[in-house]
Amino acid sequence: MATAWPEKDDHELLALIQDGNGQAFAALVERHTERFYRLAYRYLQSKAAAEDVVQDAFLKLWENPAIWQPERNSKFTTWFYRVVVNLCLDQRKKKKPEVLDNDAIVADDRATADELMMREQEQKMVEKEIAALPERQRIALNLCFDEGLTNQEAAEVMGVNLKALQSLIMRAKTTLKERLKAYL
Amino acid sequence: MNDNRDEKLDNLLRSRRVEPASPNLAQRIIFKARQLPQTKTMPLWQSVRDLFGEFHLPKPAYVLASALVFGIVIGFTAPQDTNLAVDDGGVSLQGFLSEDEALL
Repeated sequence: MATAWPEKDDHELLALIQDGNGQAFAALVERHTERFYRLAYRYLQSKAAAEDVVQDAFLKLWENPAIWQPERNSKFTTWFYRVVVNLCLDQRKKKKPEVLDNDAIVADDRATADELMMREQEQKMVEKEIAALPERQRIALNLCFDEGLTNQEAAEVMGVNLKALQSLIMRAKTTLKERLKAYL
Repeated sequence: MNDNRDEKLDNLLRSRRVEPASPNLAQRIIFKARQLPQTKTMPLWQSVRDLFGEFHLPKPAYVLASALVFGIVIGFTAPQDTNLAVDDGGVSLQGFLSEDEALL
């Protein structure tokens, strides 16, 4: 079982990783896997593909830790989000987007059968319309509606200023409001 | 009306479900990393900085060492005034000695 090292921040763990410390790497992975998986899943809509992307991203960091340059990046999470997004884009180029099937929709046991069916339908439509958005609008939306990421951080991940990000979000939402009007 | 739709859309976007990751995902990544070597590529300036770090010398010592190296380089490249080769129009040392021997 890897040491969690809660007292060490991400920068400290990364410095140790650059010295070849496997335990520091394990601590970083355990600390952040979930959040990057969630982003990758929102983008790829596939558990297997999202897990592959997160694994590839972390292994890329482990194999070549010099890619992390603390003087260029203020926050590890902002930088790593960028790495994950780029890998998601590569993944989409390689594969055709998978059709969201019923098994991928997480059910709420407490809902009635009708409510469940309605929610499933709603989710399917939302994901379908988001998948149809232009790439940059889709990335912006996925980043901004990911918990724990501010709009400013999302803008940094995308390498744009805040205004440009807000413009992307606005355009995405305008399109979605039109296409999902039956559900709003 | 528009605000209502905005709010509903935001709620829809926030309530997007994410299928949970495999519980052992982090462990799989950690295990895989253990089988992979690290590439120790460093920017050149960092390698030089690390190299100097190994010597544990105070900074003035580097200044003196640099001055010494600089001086040696200057010394070898400067023109040599004590060259015994014959100058054009001058008296050679060999000729001068030969004259002495001739007298003897």
